[in-house]
Amino acid sequence: MKNKNANIFTVTTFTFVIIFLYIPILLLIVYSFNDSKIISSWRGFTFKYYYLLLKNREIINAFKNTMIIGVLSTIASTVLGVLSALALENKRFFGTKFFKGLVFVPLIMPDILMGVSLALLFSFLKIRMGMFTVLIAHITFCVSYTIIVIQSRLEGFDYHLEEAAMDLGANKTQIFFKIKLPLMMPGIIAAALLAFTLSIDDFVITFFTSGRGFNTLPVYVEGAIRRGTITTINALSTLMIGLTLMFATITKRIRKYLIAV
Amino acid sequence: MNNEQKHEKKKNIYSWILSLPAMSWLIFFFLIPYIIIFIYSFYQADIYDIKAILTLDAYKNVFSPEYFRSFFISFRLALITTFLCFLLGYPAAYLIARSSEKIKNTLLVLIIIPFWTNFIIRIFSWRIFLSPEGILNNALIYFNLIDTPLMLIRNDFAVILVMVYVYLPYMILPLYSNIEKMDFTLLDAAMDLGASPKKTFFKITLPLSKDGILAGSILVFIPALGAYIIPQLVGSQDSLYIGQIITYKIKNIPRNWPLASALSLMLLILISALMVLFYTLHIKFKERMIVKDEDEK
Repeated sequence: MKNKNANIFTVTTFTFVIIFLYIPILLLIVYSFNDSKIISSWRGFTFKYYYLLLKNREIINAFKNTMIIGVLSTIASTVLGVLSALALENKRFFGTKFFKGLVFVPLIMPDILMGVSLALLFSFLKIRMGMFTVLIAHITFCVSYTIIVIQSRLEGFDYHLEEAAMDLGANKTQIFFKIKLPLMMPGIIAAALLAFTLSIDDFVITFFTSGRGFNTLPVYVEGAIRRGTITTINALSTLMIGLTLMFATITKRIRKYLIAV
Repeated sequence: MNNEQKHEKKKNIYSWILSLPAMSWLIFFFLIPYIIIFIYSFYQADIYDIKAILTLDAYKNVFSPEYFRSFFISFRLALITTFLCFLLGYPAAYLIARSSEKIKNTLLVLIIIPFWTNFIIRIFSWRIFLSPEGILNNALIYFNLIDTPLMLIRNDFAVILVMVYVYLPYMILPLYSNIEKMDFTLLDAAMDLGASPKKTFFKITLPLSKDGILAGSILVFIPALGAYIIPQLVGSQDSLYIGQIITYKIKNIPRNWPLASALSLMLLILISALMVLFYTLHIKFKERMIVKDEDEK
């Protein structure tokens, strides 16, 4: 009872935060169906922009690129994450501190520094920027996240299970594939999802490492905003919101299933 | 004993080999690029890339008032953003942490969903919302609150608003996980002993969530220092943030890569200094807690 005022305060702030977070998203969805070239005035319902969107070669291409980069960087950074998390189980091998620092620092580095430094590295090495360089950049910023997510899951690992299996005569490969890997799975999936989200969302680092001619969706959208060809962007955003929500629900199901198993 | 040592050694080599792929990846693509930045800052500028002539030109330019100013406004922006995120984020995180298990998950998902929408698109949406012919201005005019549209974008107000919008979850999530672990019986004890809710909050709740506040502040403040795309899309072109200046010098012709490198290094030094500061604060807090504990014994 004493806390009634405090409760009203936290609930009000929370409601405000939620409204604040959802304003732009709801707005985009509503206006993607607006039959008007000027964004502010409502001229009736239309699917026109969705149709135009599906005819736009550049957008489809950018979407394809985003997916390719997203999937490849997720796979690579998750594999690196699993290996490193297994290494970090051992708290004191040679160079642990250095390695941990190397993993943590990229997490807080502003995107712009990573973008600039990679762009200059590629120019120094005379590597033409394109899909390959974007992929390298994405793996670089995803890998710290995958390592930390998988490693934090391993922290609560019950080593008695391994010992029990060993006592029962399982060999090392069997222990790894039958016990450790399945138990690590929720962490691995969480890490992969995070990496994929980070990859398809990234603008700044991709902007620095993509060069001319290679666009991911965020880079395309930014260009379109700059050029003023914005009518289809609302439709595109709505589709993307739909896709991500679908993706989120599916992965939630998968996670539930895995935990149940 | 000897056998155990051997085993330990074998285990260490095994761990080392496992960490090797990620370690070499990060050395090559995270660490070495900063060395390249360092080298490039001593080259001579060219309108396209660089001339391989060693010079201190970049450093002569770095300390001009123009760049000092952009560092200053970036720092100010990061500070205001962090503070506002804290003001909004703390009550929100507190509510989530103290909700029942079922509601908790729903509230967390509500905070996380906007994360799943591309952030360029969300910024773009704010631009529509705030523009002179946008919904907000139209609504204000409709309700006779204003006569002429307010200029709500292309200024610092819009930059701060969108920065808070984008970085808020980075503050809420660490705060939430910190507050959730808090021992709430302490609060009840303080109240039972007659402390007012206000006193309980400032003397117990807030000090106990120090680690969460620190983590959230780092996650907002440091990335906010290098903000580029938000000021670029909703800010004014009269006052450029350091992220914008670095990007222009890298991307737009006439380029100036050595200067961009020198400015990036400055930003890096500033961040490192701040990290050391944060770290010392963290240690200080911990020490003080321990000293207090011992005093009480």
